[in-house]
Amino acid sequence: MTERQASAGRPIIEVEAVSKSFMIPSVQRTTVREHLLGIFERRGFQKLQVLDKVSFAVERGEALGIMGRNGTGKSTLLKILCGVYLPDEGRVTARAEITPVLELGVGWNPELDAVDNVMIVGSVMGLTLTEIRRGLDEILGFAELERFANLKLKHYSSGMSQRLGYAVAFKAMRDVLILDEIFAVGDVGFRARCETRYRELRAAGHTAIIVSHDPRVIATFCDRALLLDGGKIVQEGPANDIADRYVSTLTAQ
Amino acid sequence: MKPGLIWTLVRTDFKARYHGTMGGFVWALLKPMSMFVVLMGVFSFLFAGNPLYKLNLIVGLFLWDFFAEGTKSGLTSLHARGYLLTKARVPSWILVVTSMSNAVITLAVFSLVIVVFLIAAGRAPSFVALLAFASYGLALMAIVAGFSLAASALFLRFRDLNQVWEVALQAGFFLAPIIYPLEILPERFHFYLYIWPPTPVIEFSRSVLVRGVLPTLRGHTYLAIDAGICLLVGIVIFRRLSPRAAEYV
Repeated sequence: MTERQASAGRPIIEVEAVSKSFMIPSVQRTTVREHLLGIFERRGFQKLQVLDKVSFAVERGEALGIMGRNGTGKSTLLKILCGVYLPDEGRVTARAEITPVLELGVGWNPELDAVDNVMIVGSVMGLTLTEIRRGLDEILGFAELERFANLKLKHYSSGMSQRLGYAVAFKAMRDVLILDEIFAVGDVGFRARCETRYRELRAAGHTAIIVSHDPRVIATFCDRALLLDGGKIVQEGPANDIADRYVSTLTAQ
Repeated sequence: MKPGLIWTLVRTDFKARYHGTMGGFVWALLKPMSMFVVLMGVFSFLFAGNPLYKLNLIVGLFLWDFFAEGTKSGLTSLHARGYLLTKARVPSWILVVTSMSNAVITLAVFSLVIVVFLIAAGRAPSFVALLAFASYGLALMAIVAGFSLAASALFLRFRDLNQVWEVALQAGFFLAPIIYPLEILPERFHFYLYIWPPTPVIEFSRSVLVRGVLPTLRGHTYLAIDAGICLLVGIVIFRRLSPRAAEYV
C-alpha cells in the first residue's frame, strides 16, 4: 500500500498549534568581534510572537486562501508549511510533496543564466535533470523568456525573474502548490496564462494554498480562507466571506 | 539524496568560477604554481643542501592550496547559497559539501601534475605510494568537509568568521611545514605541529611520494582518527545549527 492510499481521507496538510517567535535583540550582534567586545554586557531581547498556536487543516483538492495585513505572520506560516522554518512549538504534517513559490520568487543565483537556474531550482523542486531538459522549452515559453535563456539572472528585470519562477513551479508541481501573492506579477497576458494553468491544476485535483492581499484573488481562486491577525486565526470560512471581512477590517481603521 | 541537484551545483559552481572555460580553470592552477616558482627561487638557496626541497615544496603547496580554498568556499557556502535555503526545503548539507567540488577538481589535476613532476625527476612513485597518497587526500577532504559543515552554519551567525579564518589561514600556512622542512624544528615541537590537520597530510604525502617511505601504523591511525574527529564534530555542529539556518541567511 502506498503512502498516498494510506493517507486517503485524511487532510493533506495538518497544522497543529504552531507557534513561532523571533527574538529581536536590542543590540544586534552578528560578528565574533561584537560578541567578544560585548561579552560582559547583558543585552535585552524583545520577543516577537509571529504565530500563536495556529491550527488548521487542508483537505486534498482544496484551495485555501490566507489573508491578513502586513506583519500578521502569513509569510512565516508559509515558510513553516514548506519546511523552510522550524516551528517553535506545534507540528506540521504534510502528506504530500509541496511546491512553493515564496515571496514572489523561487531563489535565483544572479551569476547564472536562466537555463542553469532552472536546472538548480527544478531539481530542488524534485524534477530529474532529464525532465527539466525536456520541459525547458515549455518553461521558457510559458515565461516568454526564450530569447533570454542564456542571459544571467542579474540582468533580468524583477518581472522577468518572477515569471520564470512561476513557470518552473507550474512545471515542477507535484501535489500541493503554495503561492505567495500569486497573480501579482507580470502583464495581463502572463496573468491570464497563470490563471489558466492554475485552473487546469485545480481541475486535475491538485491542492493549493494561496496568500494574498487581494480580496478578489482569494474570492476567485480559493474555496475556503483564513484571516490572520496578530499571529492568530481570527476567522475561518468560505473564501467570499473572508475576503469581505478582510475588506471591512481594513476600511474600519 | 538528489543526484541531479548535486551534479548541477557542481557544474554551475565550476561554470560561475571559471566562466565555463578550461582557460579560466588555468588560473586556478596558476596560483599555487606561481607561489611555487617564487618560493623556490627564494628558499632553494636557503635549503640548498636539501636536494628534495623542490619536490617537498610543490607537494606541500598543492595540498595547502586545496585546504585553504576548500575551507574558504565551505565557510561561506550556506550564505552564498542562501537564495535556495530561504525559498525551498533543500537538504542543506548538499549545499556545503558540493562547495568543495572546485577545490577537489583542482587537487585532482594537481595530483596528476605532481606525478608527472616526480616521473620527470626520476622518482616515479610506486602503486602503493599512490594508493597511500590517495587515502591522505581523502582524509584531507574529510577534514575540510568537517570544517565546512561547522563553519558554514556558524558563519550565518557570526558574519566576520571569514575574516577570522583568513587570519588563521595566514598563520596556518607557516605553522604547517610547507616552505620549511619539519626537521629544522626541534623534535619536541613536532607533536604540536601535527595537531594542525594539514601537517600530517602534507608530511605523509611527502614521505610516500618524494622519499618513497610509508609512514608508521601509528601515524596512519593518528591521521584516520584526526580526520574522523573533524568530520564528526562538523556533522554534530551542523545538525544542531542547520535546521534554523534559513532564519539567519
